[in-house]
Amino acid sequence: MADAAVIGDPFTDLVGKLTAFNKAVTTKTSIAQTPKELVWALNKAKLYRYIPVVPKEQRHPVPLLMVFALMNRPYILDLRPGHSFVEFMVKSGYDLYLLDWGAPGPEDKNLKFDDYTLEYMPRAIRKLKVISGVEEFSMLGWCIGAILSTIYAALRPDDGLRNLILLTAPLDFSNKETITFAKWTDERYFDVDKVLQAFGNMPGEMIDYGARALKPVENYIVNYLKLWDNIENPHVIEAWQAMNTWVTDNIPLAGGVFRQLIVDLYRNDRLMRGELMIRGERVDLKRLRANLLTVIAEGDHITPPCQSKAILSKVSSKDKELFSVPGGHIGIMAGSGANKRTWPKIDDWLGRRSE
Amino acid sequence: MADEQTANGKPPDPMEPFREMRDTYLDAWAKAMVETVNTDAYAKTTGTVLDTYLSASSPFREAVEKAMLRVLEQLSMPSRADFISLADRVTNIEMRLDDMDAKLDRIVDVLTRPVTARRRPSAGTAAPKNQQKQKIKGAK
Repeated sequence: MADAAVIGDPFTDLVGKLTAFNKAVTTKTSIAQTPKELVWALNKAKLYRYIPVVPKEQRHPVPLLMVFALMNRPYILDLRPGHSFVEFMVKSGYDLYLLDWGAPGPEDKNLKFDDYTLEYMPRAIRKLKVISGVEEFSMLGWCIGAILSTIYAALRPDDGLRNLILLTAPLDFSNKETITFAKWTDERYFDVDKVLQAFGNMPGEMIDYGARALKPVENYIVNYLKLWDNIENPHVIEAWQAMNTWVTDNIPLAGGVFRQLIVDLYRNDRLMRGELMIRGERVDLKRLRANLLTVIAEGDHITPPCQSKAILSKVSSKDKELFSVPGGHIGIMAGSGANKRTWPKIDDWLGRRSE
Repeated sequence: MADEQTANGKPPDPMEPFREMRDTYLDAWAKAMVETVNTDAYAKTTGTVLDTYLSASSPFREAVEKAMLRVLEQLSMPSRADFISLADRVTNIEMRLDDMDAKLDRIVDVLTRPVTARRRPSAGTAAPKNQQKQKIKGAK
């Protein structure tokens, strides 16, 4: 009997670990828990204001608007209590707003950068100004949200934008050898019109595959092995589940925007070359005058650092800074070191410019 | 027992060397794969696979869409195109409502607050003269 018990233990242990692993990969955790109120909505887009926790007289008077990418959920900025950029900024005294683009449906397949930057953003910003009671504001754009923010800032330089923060901004597409996406979407290999004719919008699953396939071993194997190795550590499981909840919550990208992204940016680099046209207006980066902080991730495979640097030499901003952080595209803002490196830097830079 | 403890006080893990070997192998594999996916050959292959899938599935997709359309018509049910058309109209109405909201906000602002207090850039500093006179902009 004693021998049977000894032999049985490893199996019991294995079953326990497998059960925990299975639970970890299939459980969705509660995310985006910082209290907020809906203050504006148009179509799928929603503007949220986070409930301030700092008394008004101690808050920074210039509000901050966060603009996230179009093809992921923005709650990566507010992943879980104790590990949330939103929570950190609210506690640091910012009047914080989030522009959530929502998930486009088939009826939105023709939406373009033109619509997002000149129809949705000005309306949301107008509402933000009314609610906050000030004419000036700061804007933080991440990934494609940074493209939108940059276009908006260049097209509407007199609209009260004081500070612009760009996180891992894919703006410069000239170095095609370094940008894997540029290779995949090269016109010799990728028929963008055929894809959009079939799907209308670019399916979230295809975008997700593209992002994961940049580092296939890490994303499809190592990610799960790390969980397996730490299956008895509740802190690791909690963090893994929160990130997995976000990573697997994919949304499509509006067909019109996807086409512009591929044809105008990835293939022809029209933004940096000053040839991008938005509703008949040329996007001239020289018109961008807001204080500018560009944050790049040194290990970014999705937006290699070379894509985010050239903007500094193109804009007219007198106050501009490049901040380089070790880490990946998402890790610099949602990784375990984000609250020690990226968030304090943003707070420090923005705080001094928000008085 | 003390002999079985490592320098940092933890009992030795017999699997650790295998884990290290595994991680070393995975690191090498990961680097090789990153290089592989960044080649023209990979881009060409994935492009061709996608193109083939789209070409092969297109006739089926179109047939299903046509059949579905006929079924919905027979049942007097709205099609996807009908819903899309309706959604466009709703969004248009939303925009007009937003325009009206902007005008209302402007009226409320003019009526409820003294001119000097309107939308200062900061609580501590007085707004520049040109900003005090600046009209509150509409949506566009």
